[in-house]
Amino acid sequence: MPERIIEWIDQRFPFTSFIKHDLTGYPTPRNLSYWWNFGFLAGIVLVLQVATGIFLAMHYKADISLSFDSIQHIMRDVNYGWLLRYMHAVGASAFFFVIFVHMARTLYYGSFRAPRELMWWTGQGLLLLLMATAFMGYLLPWGQMSFWGATVITNLFRATPFFGDQVVVWLRGDYTVGDATLTRFFSLHYLMPFIIFAAVGIHLVALHTVKSSNPSGINLADKDNIPFHPYFTIKDLYGLGIFLIVYSVFVFFIPNSLIEPANNIPANPMQTPNHIVPEWYFLPFYAILRSVPNMVGGVLAMGLSVMIFAFMPFLDRSRIPGGARYRPYYKLQFYLFIVDMFILGYVGYVPPTPETIVIGQIATLCYFGSFFLIPFISKAEEAWLIKRGLPPEVIELIEKETRDKEERKLKRLRRQGDIA
Amino acid sequence: MRVFLQIILLSCISLTAWANEAALEKVDVETDSKSIERGAEAMIGSCHSCHSMEYIHYRDLLNFGMDKQKVETWRGDQPLDAPVLAQMAENDAMGAFGKVPPDLSLMVKARDGGPNYLYSYLLGYYAKPDGTLSNHIYPETKMPDVLGVSSIAEGASHTEVQGQARDIVSFLAWVSDPHEAERLRLGYYVIAYLLVLTTLLYFVKKQIWSKLK
Amino acid sequence: MSNTSSEALSEQLGDGNRRDFLIKVTSVVGGAGVAAACVPFVASMNPSSDVLAKAETEVDIGGIPEGGVRTVAWQGKPVFIVHRTAEQIKSVSTTANTLDPVPDETRVQRPEWLVVVGVCTHMGCVPNKEGLGWTCHCHGSQYDDSGRVVRGPAPKNLEVPPYHFVADNKIIIGKTA
Repeated sequence: MPERIIEWIDQRFPFTSFIKHDLTGYPTPRNLSYWWNFGFLAGIVLVLQVATGIFLAMHYKADISLSFDSIQHIMRDVNYGWLLRYMHAVGASAFFFVIFVHMARTLYYGSFRAPRELMWWTGQGLLLLLMATAFMGYLLPWGQMSFWGATVITNLFRATPFFGDQVVVWLRGDYTVGDATLTRFFSLHYLMPFIIFAAVGIHLVALHTVKSSNPSGINLADKDNIPFHPYFTIKDLYGLGIFLIVYSVFVFFIPNSLIEPANNIPANPMQTPNHIVPEWYFLPFYAILRSVPNMVGGVLAMGLSVMIFAFMPFLDRSRIPGGARYRPYYKLQFYLFIVDMFILGYVGYVPPTPETIVIGQIATLCYFGSFFLIPFISKAEEAWLIKRGLPPEVIELIEKETRDKEERKLKRLRRQGDIA
Repeated sequence: MRVFLQIILLSCISLTAWANEAALEKVDVETDSKSIERGAEAMIGSCHSCHSMEYIHYRDLLNFGMDKQKVETWRGDQPLDAPVLAQMAENDAMGAFGKVPPDLSLMVKARDGGPNYLYSYLLGYYAKPDGTLSNHIYPETKMPDVLGVSSIAEGASHTEVQGQARDIVSFLAWVSDPHEAERLRLGYYVIAYLLVLTTLLYFVKKQIWSKLK
Repeated sequence: MSNTSSEALSEQLGDGNRRDFLIKVTSVVGGAGVAAACVPFVASMNPSSDVLAKAETEVDIGGIPEGGVRTVAWQGKPVFIVHRTAEQIKSVSTTANTLDPVPDETRVQRPEWLVVVGVCTHMGCVPNKEGLGWTCHCHGSQYDDSGRVVRGPAPKNLEVPPYHFVADNKIIIGKTA
């Protein structure tokens, strides 16, 4: 009977062919490591956040005189409201953790390089959507940190040339962060995850066109690809189990570790807390913002620090395939960059002192320096590696790519009529 | 590489630069109902003449299991659904202290150090050389020394006030997070279940992958 | 895991009862977890504890004079509390004329106090007190001083909510003793 139903559907909808093409017959490199689990984990966290978010929204009131109270209503009176709230708060941090590891994997293994540039850029778009969603969501509890964090960050739009002040008022709907701001942030916070779902769809379509990269960075022979289902469905599920254990430890045992104490105080526009600090996932960018003494400069630096990742496919000029595996200097640069991110995070967290300001400025220079130096380092490293001697499969791949490039150039010139 | 190590070292050292807050005394928060009930008595008996706990209702105290008679006395003719508001009107408090005593519903969560902060604060009163009172933890406080810590004779035992402070802090910890006990209990079951499921998934994964040549 | 995927699995990898069993056990355990995870979401939609607290309403009936009626809110609905006179009690001692005959004694705990939900059993309008009993002006239904329907189109008597006396002058609506 089920076969008859599926047949009926197949005549009207590409159900079985989709399953075959994208799951049971979808070729995936057999050597993918557990670092490749994090895309799936990000999808799961998205579903978790939307589910908990929708049920929280059944009880939340987006009005400045009611919002803080409604959160307490959820925490105290709503059945399992405390669980929904903690899951949603921990989930936001989990989302950024998973995404940062996912990005680190992509950078380390060079998965952003041709032909996967669009994957990297759709991912960049997803990161921006996620940051916007998280920022707006943080205002909703209407605590001291919510209010003042939103005040500081919306103030940054004053850096817009010519219309700075009007832009800030337009964003807020008021001269200060107020009821108008809260209701529109709630509306957009509810909307954005669905835009994220659509963008994830585009991201996956791109993936299924170019197929996954792998730890070696070299395209594997067909025989070394295995069907996604059942091998990677089960591997993803196992990884999910591990993730859920860590997630549950936070939700059930240390949920308040991620909630700033000051956010348990209702927003008071008349009094700024001693220490305004964003959530941990924004700290490095916040540190970069504060490193530049000029306001417009700071905003530009912060914006660039997020957007500069998009340039990676152009910045990395090495012809050595893949990422850090065959490239010791790239590997070192990657690890130093991670250390730099942690230093920036620390600088963003502590109240600024003369020492931390200097450290922050040096770390910011190193941050941008890494990107600006990649073109030069990658080329120099390539020359050094070729001189030292490369593994045969790598040499073969480089030669093949050079040949392909020449072919394409010749084809283009012939089409244009420049040569016979 | 050396420069980076030096920078990291510098960062660690500067961490101590702003550890200028008074060291907090650690307290073991009691979660048993007796201690919490004693704390509730102290709170509603004395503290709530000035402090409100607007997110706690009298029915919450009943649902927790506090003595029905006591709750009836505390609520008087207010309905069960009423929040526990301060007895002193805000204007009078402004006049007496210059500040409205803060609501205590979330005080344990709203301070760095949580229950340790509140415990140290309650026990942190001392007499200055000029005779006026101050507090080690929060020198600007307008709150009087309710436990009488500053008037304990030199060398006399602090056990009684420590017990009172612990009961009050235990009650306030419950007030900040009434579902903590349920959350921890559920947490143990969830982690246990996930450990079982993840182990099963591990073996299924191993089995499926073993068929690869 | 559906039938098709485990069939495809068998095809690809050959047979193995032990493998099948392990997958079945894992699926059952996993499914149980998913089902359990749905519970907090569904439960959160049930009335929260502050709503449940309003499920009972305490009413001081000492101020209602003989012959007087008071309307109070209970669970968002109007409840009529009547301090009945002897004349009113006598008028309801017979079940003649009622469309849904029920003796008055079964509808009250103390004869001089009638407590009924003031919602017409026809379409839900609130009837008006008129002389002996109530009239509903939406479609003309009439009730007697025991809240029993004497003229349609209402099909049933006015609902008697659960209530009990905590004192001679105080009742709690929402719970029987």
